[in-house]
Amino acid sequence: MTRALFPLLTLVSMALFMVSLLTGPAGFGLGESLQALVTGQGEAVTLVMREIRLPRAILAVMVGASLGLSGAALQGYLRNPLAEPGLIGVSGSAALGAVIAMQTGFAAAFALALPLSALAGAVIAVLLILMLAGPRGGSLTLILAGIAISALAGALMSLALNLSPNPFATSETVFWMMGSLADRSFSHLWLAAPFMALGWALLLPLGRGLDALTLGEDAAAAMGIQLARLRLQLVLGVAACVGAATAVAGAIGFVGLVVPHLLRPIVGARPSVLLPASALGGAAMVLLADIAVRLILPERDLKLGVLMAIIGAPLFLHLIYKTRRAGA
Amino acid sequence: MTRLTLDRLTVMRGTCPVVDAATFEIGAGELVGLIGPNGAGKTSLMRGALGLLPHDGHCSLTAMTPHGRARHAAWLPQSREIAWPVAVETLVMLGRIPHLAAGQRPSEADRIAVADALATMDLTGFEARAATELSGGEQARVLIARALAQDTPLILADEPIAGLDPGHQIATMAAFAQLAARGKALMVSLHDLGLAARHCTRLVLMDKGRIHADGPPASVLTRENLAQVFGISAHMANGPDGIIFQPLEVLA
Repeated sequence: MTRALFPLLTLVSMALFMVSLLTGPAGFGLGESLQALVTGQGEAVTLVMREIRLPRAILAVMVGASLGLSGAALQGYLRNPLAEPGLIGVSGSAALGAVIAMQTGFAAAFALALPLSALAGAVIAVLLILMLAGPRGGSLTLILAGIAISALAGALMSLALNLSPNPFATSETVFWMMGSLADRSFSHLWLAAPFMALGWALLLPLGRGLDALTLGEDAAAAMGIQLARLRLQLVLGVAACVGAATAVAGAIGFVGLVVPHLLRPIVGARPSVLLPASALGGAAMVLLADIAVRLILPERDLKLGVLMAIIGAPLFLHLIYKTRRAGA
Repeated sequence: MTRLTLDRLTVMRGTCPVVDAATFEIGAGELVGLIGPNGAGKTSLMRGALGLLPHDGHCSLTAMTPHGRARHAAWLPQSREIAWPVAVETLVMLGRIPHLAAGQRPSEADRIAVADALATMDLTGFEARAATELSGGEQARVLIARALAQDTPLILADEPIAGLDPGHQIATMAAFAQLAARGKALMVSLHDLGLAARHCTRLVLMDKGRIHADGPPASVLTRENLAQVFGISAHMANGPDGIIFQPLEVLA
């Protein structure tokens, strides 16, 4: 089953990518759209395809892969299926970093200021989580630490909006925080790409160490896994992925929870296989959700983060219920 | 041939030494039982020797690189953690990690080592079962098999037989003895002094962080040592079936 999974996920992602390219309010024909995308024939349709839909679809892949991968890596390290960047406050803290940068004007100082601010917020949150919950903290400590960090990030974000002199900037920020891929351009893509690539490069090789951690830290260390290095690589990798994703798309939660949860039984629960599978699965999931927001309420600009939360939160409740039963 | 050398190994918890200047060697062919009351420092001694706790003094293991150490010594911690519902075979295959280069897939030799370890622990037929769904004792055996699959000259195990049924306790100790007879060295902490006396080639008795006695079982499990360290009396006889040891009562 595992062997067929990767080609299958790739095919599904590619198909969803094509559907994403062909979904939108402009209503061009299929042949016309694809021809414009490839050859550049027809000014309006080429503009829509190349400057609006293409970056949006590519960003959906990148954001989804980053969030899915981060969720799987965090869960593997903490040995807890409830660990998810959005739930434990990492996305919130990244958003806080971004909001502070936007409200203070730091974001305009230089091109990378926004993603770097989001990344700094994410690093702080991951470090706090590891400090508070640690791998032996158990589900309850992890969730409590996540609530605390989310609450703090939320409060500071409210403070930043509260003190904002400009009501338009405030409402814009509020909508931005809901998470969306609408109206993103290639400049967003180039801003996020290096950080995400760095995050993937840091997280994907962690597979063997995370596998060994299935037996606990002591056994993993005695099998030659260098835990201090693994932890650092995890913190930086998750922060780079989530920080970059949040900087360009706002806070999108639950991807890192839903995707590893769905794929874990298929890969035989092995953390090393779950990492790449969750990256692919995350890409498919965000592509799908981003198509759905355009189809469900085409006129109202339904936010991607809102939709993901509506799908993800019930699953989270189900997971807590299951964890409780297993613990009893 | 020496497999483990400790020279004045000391592990501190705060200002209090939980292992105090432990010095001994373990050679090939030895099955060393590490005994002592709760809190005597057995776990700290083994974790310190493996470099998992900061320590003073010399240990032949911590002088190695992490990778070299992982190929020389396998460690079976007391906490029986299995975080994910992986298949038994997958879990035991984790023991092969130190033998695989980065990105290398398990070879036929790795699969044979895993199958051998499973057979030794009486787990043949369990390969595809989810490890988390087994009983506590079965999980303990799967984890022992994982340590055996690492196929190292030295194995350190912290209370490996606690919680096993009598048959599997005896079978596990017999398997350890057989591994020792084939030239491996093992150090096993345990509380069952009867099994320790019967199967171990040598006992190390710890008390309050110090090595209280070290030698063949009969020379360690003396009336004085038992009274002084455990506060118990016991009956010991050397019959045709080997040493028979039965703790009797707590001394006032």
